Amino acid sequence: MSRAAAPLQWLTMGLLAVGLLGLSPALSLSLLAFGLAVLTALKLREARSLEERRLVALLQLVGAGLLAALRPELGPSLLQGLAILLALAGLLALELGAGPDWKALMRRSLQVLLAALPIALVLFLLLPRLMPFSNLGTGQGMGVMTGLSDSMEPGSIARLSVSRAAAARVAFPLGGGPPPLGQRFWRVLVHQRFDGRRWRSTAPPLPRPAAGQPTPPPPAAPGEGIQLWLVEPSGLAAVPWSGAGRPLSPDLTLQRSGELLNRAPGSQRRVYALTQTADPGDWRSQPPGPIDLVLPRGENPRLEALAAEWRRLGSDRQRLNAAGSWFRSQPFRYTLEPGALPRQAPLDRFLFETRLGFCGHYASAFTTLMRAAGVPARVVSGYRGGQWVQPVGGSGYVDLRQADAHAWSEVWLQGEGWQRVDPTAWADGDPLASAVTTSETATGTAPWDWLQRQWWGLDIAWARWWLGYDSEQQQALVQRLLGDQRHLLGLVVLLAVAISLAASLGGLGWLGRRRSGDPLRLELEHTLRAFARHGLAPQAGETLPVFAQRLMQRWPALAGPLNAYVANYQRQRFASTPSRTGRRQAQRLGRALRRSLRTGNLPKEAVQREHP
Amino acid sequence: MDFGRPQQGERVRLRMRNLYILPTRFGWLWLAGTVLLQVIGVQMQSNGTLLLSFLMLSLFLLTLHLTHFNLQGVELGCGAPAPGFAGDPVPYPIRLRCPGRSEGVRLRLGGEAAGPPLSLPPGEHELTVAWRPPGRGWHQPGLLRVQTTAPLGLFCCWSRWYPGAAQLIYPARRAGPVRLLAGGSAPLAGEPAVASRQDGSDDWRDLAPHRPQDSPSRLAWKLLAQGRGEYAKRFLDQPETAPRLAPDPGLPLEVALEHLSERIWNYHGRGLSYGLELSGQSVAPGRGLAHRDQCLAALACCR
Repeated sequence: MSRAAAPLQWLTMGLLAVGLLGLSPALSLSLLAFGLAVLTALKLREARSLEERRLVALLQLVGAGLLAALRPELGPSLLQGLAILLALAGLLALELGAGPDWKALMRRSLQVLLAALPIALVLFLLLPRLMPFSNLGTGQGMGVMTGLSDSMEPGSIARLSVSRAAAARVAFPLGGGPPPLGQRFWRVLVHQRFDGRRWRSTAPPLPRPAAGQPTPPPPAAPGEGIQLWLVEPSGLAAVPWSGAGRPLSPDLTLQRSGELLNRAPGSQRRVYALTQTADPGDWRSQPPGPIDLVLPRGENPRLEALAAEWRRLGSDRQRLNAAGSWFRSQPFRYTLEPGALPRQAPLDRFLFETRLGFCGHYASAFTTLMRAAGVPARVVSGYRGGQWVQPVGGSGYVDLRQADAHAWSEVWLQGEGWQRVDPTAWADGDPLASAVTTSETATGTAPWDWLQRQWWGLDIAWARWWLGYDSEQQQALVQRLLGDQRHLLGLVVLLAVAISLAASLGGLGWLGRRRSGDPLRLELEHTLRAFARHGLAPQAGETLPVFAQRLMQRWPALAGPLNAYVANYQRQRFASTPSRTGRRQAQRLGRALRRSLRTGNLPKEAVQREHP
Repeated sequence: MDFGRPQQGERVRLRMRNLYILPTRFGWLWLAGTVLLQVIGVQMQSNGTLLLSFLMLSLFLLTLHLTHFNLQGVELGCGAPAPGFAGDPVPYPIRLRCPGRSEGVRLRLGGEAAGPPLSLPPGEHELTVAWRPPGRGWHQPGLLRVQTTAPLGLFCCWSRWYPGAAQLIYPARRAGPVRLLAGGSAPLAGEPAVASRQDGSDDWRDLAPHRPQDSPSRLAWKLLAQGRGEYAKRFLDQPETAPRLAPDPGLPLEVALEHLSERIWNYHGRGLSYGLELSGQSVAPGRGLAHRDQCLAALACCR
C-alpha cells in the first residue's frame, strides 16, 4: 500500500463533498448521495486493511456516479471526472506497493483511464438505450427559487430588487436566431384567476405523471430549426419557450393555455428542445373560457367607470385601441420602487393617482381594465428580451437573467385569437425600450462577465452534445453508421469493443516500453535503424567510429553530420556526469543526420543506379 | 485464490497453460457497482452515470488483461539457497526474469504470509522469500505461490510451483549443555596434535635487538638504563586448548544437536577454536567461517 493512498482517498472524499454542496436536499436521490458520502467517509476513517480501502474506492466511484445523475452540468461534471481520476489513483496506490509517488500514480491512473475510455465510449454510443423502469424520482422536490411564481400580486411589492442571477439560456443550433430584441417574449406562466388583488395560474404546480411510458415525439423535420433550452432550477413545472414550436423532448407537454410543462423535477436544471417555427401554436386559437372575464365587481370603481366607456365601443379591437391611447396619454412612469398600494381600490390608486409601477402593475391594471370592458384577457409572466451572446467558437445563445422576468397581457380578439399586449411599453422609462435604442452592448463589458459568457457558451454546447445525447440520438447514430443493416449491431459492438481493447492494450504496452532504457542509447538505436533500412548495419565488434567511416564511404555527403553526431555521442557516453543538454544535443544531431540521410542521398543513389 | 496444478522443476516459465486468473471478491463487487450505476443511469436517463458505468465495465475488461500481463512470460528459477537455521524464517532465493514491467507481484512459500507487493522493471531479479523449515537436513521449501492483483485489484492472477533446489537447514540454535572433550586428549590419526605455538603477548620469552618499528612499550628499559643497549622483549602466546564439542549423551539427539548448533554459533562469534565430535564423523578443531559451516553442515546431516 503506497503512502499516497490515504491522502488520495481523502482528497477524493473532499471533491465529492464539494460536489454534494449544490444538491437540493429535497430530492430523495440526493439524500441517498449524502448518506453514501457520509458512510464512505466513515468507512475510510476506520479502514485499515487493503480490502476495506478498496471498498472505499468503489463506494467513491458509485458516489461519483450518483452525483453525475444529480448534477449533469458542465462544472460539476468536471469535478466528478476529477474525483473519478483520483479514486482510481487511490485504488492504484493500494496495489502498487510503497514505491510510486503522487505524480507517477496520477500518470498511471490517467493512462489506465484513457485506455478504458474508448471501450466505454463504444458501449455508450452504440448500445441501445433502455427507457426508465418507472417514473419514480421525477416530479418531486419543488423548491422555490425564482423571480417567477405562480401567483402575482404587484400591489404588495413596494420595491422590486433586480437580480442578475442566471435564469435560462436558449440556443438555436440549427441556425436561425432569436426574434429581434423588441419581440423577444419568452412565456412561462399564464395567470387567469383574479381575486381583485392577486393573479394566479391555473396550471397544476406538479404535472401529472404520464400514464405508462411517455411516447417520444417525432423528431424535427429537416427544414425546422431547434430551440434548445437550458433552464436553471426554478421550482416551477412551467418552463419558458417562445410561444411557437413543437416540443421535441418527451418530458414536455403543451397546455391549452400556452404553458409548456416539464415533468423533470423543477429543483434541477432542465434541458429540453422545441422546434423553431415562425407560425404560432394552436394555443393562440383556443377560445377563452368564462374565467378570462372574471372580475370582482366594485373593487376599483374608477377603473370600472373608465372601462364602461370603452364597453360601448363596437369591437374588441376598438376597445383595445382606446385603452392603448388612454395609457399613452397619461403620465405613467416605469419604476422598480413604486411603493405599496392600499388594500382598498389598489388599481384605482395606481391608474389615477401614483401612475408609478413596474411590469406587474401595468399588466395587472391593463388586464383588469380589459376584463371590465368585456374583452377576455389574462396576465402572462415570463421573460422579456435577453442578451444575445456569441461566444468564441460555438453557436450563440440568448442569455436570460432573473432581472429579465416580465409580465404582460394577452387579450382575445375575435377572429385573431390571443394577442400579446405589453402595456409596460406605453410607460415612460420602460427598460426594454431604452435597451433597444442603445443596442445590446450596454451591459456586461467587464472581463468577468466576458469569462462567464464564454463558460456559459461551453455549458450550452455541453448541454447540446452531451446532455442531449439520448435514445433518439443514439438511434440516429446507429442508423447513420449501419443504415438498414441494424441486425448487425451486436456484432459491430463486439468487434468495436475487441478492437478498442486491443488498441488500448497495445497503447499501454507501448507506453510501458517507451520510457525504458538509456535515452542516449535509444536515440542511437533510432538512428541506426534509419541506416539499417538502407542495408547498412554495424557488424559484430564494430565500434561506432569505424561504422561511421563505413557509412561515409557510402555517402560522402553525410560526413559532416555523421562526424558531429559520433563525436557528440562519444562525448556524452563517456562524460562523467550525463547532462540533459547533452542528451538534447544528441537528439538534435540525430534528427539532422536522419534528415540529411533522407534528403541528401536519394539523388545520388539514383545517379549510381543509372551508371552501374 | 489457491488452486490449480503446481509446476515442478528447476525453472518454470509462466504462460497460458500454468497461469490462472479469476475475479477477486472486490472484482465481483465492482461488477455489482457497475450494474447499480447502470440502473441509476437508465432510471435517471443520465449520460454521466451511464458513461461511468461503461467505464467501470471497460476497466474490468482491461484489467483482466493487464493483470495477466503482469505474470505472462515471467520465468521463475531457483537461486543457490544459502543454508539457514531451523526455527527461524529462512530466506530462499528466487530468480525472476520479467519480459516487461510486472506490478504488484507477491511471492509466498509454504504456509507463510505473502510478502509485500513488488513492482519489477523488465530484466533479471533475485528475490528472497522467507519460509519456516520443519527441521534440520536438506529440505525443499514446498509450494511457491506467485500472484498479483495489480493494477486495480479486480482480478487475481496466480501460479503455483515447487522450486527444485533444496536448502540445507542447520539445527535450531538453543542454548543448553554440551559435552566438551578436552582439546588434544584424543588426537586423531593424520592430524597435528597441537596447534603450533605462535608469537603473542602473554609470556615473556626472549630479547632481541630493538628495531625502530618496535613499540616503545616492548623496550627493555632496565637493560637500557644499565647501559647495555636497546633491546626489545619478545613474548609468546600459549595456544589455547581447543575444545572438541560432542552431543550431550544424556539428552535426545535432536536436542543435543540444537545445543551444539548454538554453541558453535557462540564460539564462532567469540572467535574461539573448536572441534566437533559426532557419531560417525568428526571435525578437527579450527575456526573461521568455512570451519563453522562445515561443523553446522555436519550437525545438519547427522544421523
